[in-house]
Amino acid sequence: MRLRLPLWQPVVAAVFVFLPAPIVIVIAASFSHTGYLDLPPWPLSLRWYIALLSDTEWLGAIGTSLALAFVAASASVLTALCAAQVLARRRFTGSHFIGLLLMLPLVFPHAALAVVMVGLLMSFGAGGTFAGLLLVHAILTLPYAYRPLIGSVMSLDTDMEEAAMSLGARPFYVLRRVSLPLIRPGLITGFLFAFIVSFDEVTVTMFLTGPDITTLPVKIFHAIQETSDPVVGAVSSLIVLVTILAVMLVQRVVRLEQFAGHGGSDTAVPARRSHA
Amino acid sequence: MPTGRSLYLALLPAILLLTLLTFGLAKLIAVSFDTGHGIGLASYVGFFARPDYVRMLWRTLLVALATTVICVLIGYPTAWFISRCQAHRSLFLLLVILPWLVSVVVRTYGWIVLLGNKGLINNLLVLMGATQRPIPLMFNLVGVIIGLVHISLPFMILAILAAFRHLDGALAEAAMSLGARPWQSFRRVILPLTMPGVMSGCSLVFLSTTGVIVTPLLLGGLRDGMMGTQIYQEMFIVFSYPKAATMAVLLALCGVLVIVPLQWLERRMSRHSRAAQA
Repeated sequence: MRLRLPLWQPVVAAVFVFLPAPIVIVIAASFSHTGYLDLPPWPLSLRWYIALLSDTEWLGAIGTSLALAFVAASASVLTALCAAQVLARRRFTGSHFIGLLLMLPLVFPHAALAVVMVGLLMSFGAGGTFAGLLLVHAILTLPYAYRPLIGSVMSLDTDMEEAAMSLGARPFYVLRRVSLPLIRPGLITGFLFAFIVSFDEVTVTMFLTGPDITTLPVKIFHAIQETSDPVVGAVSSLIVLVTILAVMLVQRVVRLEQFAGHGGSDTAVPARRSHA
Repeated sequence: MPTGRSLYLALLPAILLLTLLTFGLAKLIAVSFDTGHGIGLASYVGFFARPDYVRMLWRTLLVALATTVICVLIGYPTAWFISRCQAHRSLFLLLVILPWLVSVVVRTYGWIVLLGNKGLINNLLVLMGATQRPIPLMFNLVGVIIGLVHISLPFMILAILAAFRHLDGALAEAAMSLGARPWQSFRRVILPLTMPGVMSGCSLVFLSTTGVIVTPLLLGGLRDGMMGTQIYQEMFIVFSYPKAATMAVLLALCGVLVIVPLQWLERRMSRHSRAAQA
């Protein structure tokens, strides 16, 4: 059927200009001599990238963010994988509730979640530490890891596992050689999603960083707010680059469409889509 | 696969993390009801006694509502376009997903470069002689809503796109071959069947928008505070955890009050649409 909404063509065209606009601008500005987008934007220069590479504070923040995202995403995916194995196979009192709680960080307003996390870390005296940030990021990324995994585990053909077991394979051998390879797309999607979400997170994290530790997005936030450090453009372009690399990785391993479908975006209540 | 009771052991890590989360939530609620000498509503009474706080709560809800409505209006045709797109479908999908995955601070920085008084848009307008003085596009609610729509739009598009993917295109064709005009077939067939996607997109966008901090802090003016920015100030300038906790509980409560009816509607509609498609 033809699309006959009034004005739809200009609207769709405008959306596809609107969405990439700020990102394209960030990259363009990072190469300008002043660090801002002047007209005309000449001469081009790499000075902000060079300035960035000699700034240990920025490099430290990049290192922290990469390490945090990697460890938090790993923890979150492992937790979600274990939970999905149980929740996809068994129904028991409270199983639905656990599934809902796992999705909670996605729908809970982040400003409120930030206060929750501050209170939680204060109780352990873990504010401003890597361990504290790790705990919070593991919780925050749970929905993004759980969603694709529960989908994969649910669509898993349990006959394959049973066949392997009836042929005498031990449970962990079955897990390693049968189940895990079958849910590989879910695992990779979940991990990359969790990694990106952790690497990008700022709203909650900025309540928890301290003098000893800060993440890249939080440092960018403070740099924008306080002064206008032109290095921000170069650093932001690097973030865009990391994101593009991650998305390319996704496209190689799973289809982009599948990735989008699991983005925790098609319904606020989990598992329903997975049943379909 | 491990079988039997030992399988339940696999739930332990999740239960550990969720217990910590629940503990934090419980502590938040407890602090907000603590009056210093017992349990009471004092901090909530204190919140609603301040007209500036109440105005801020309304502003938060209105900004979230405006963002949600704009996202539906421009997201629906975009999702439809992508779902029907044959040739460069993955390219268009990429144009939605890539900005969605780039950090909010980076995108906000891009908007500052674009929207500022000396930003690209105003520079171009002045250069073309369209305006003498720069038009204020930032440090006001216009800037905040532009930034928020940019953050939320991909969520909305992907949610509606998922609904379109479940939609059987033949249904609309059938309606038309039975004599329905395109508009009728849209209103009576396509729209109802994709409504569950719209509803879940709306819930997600509304909820996430009520809790934003970075966008209103960087793109809004001093008088455009939202609940999120106020919570930020209570924590970092006033150092008042109890006040921030009260606001956080109110924020979550507002979300629940808006979302529960929406979810109920969505469930009803998806039941209807499934019945219609069956």
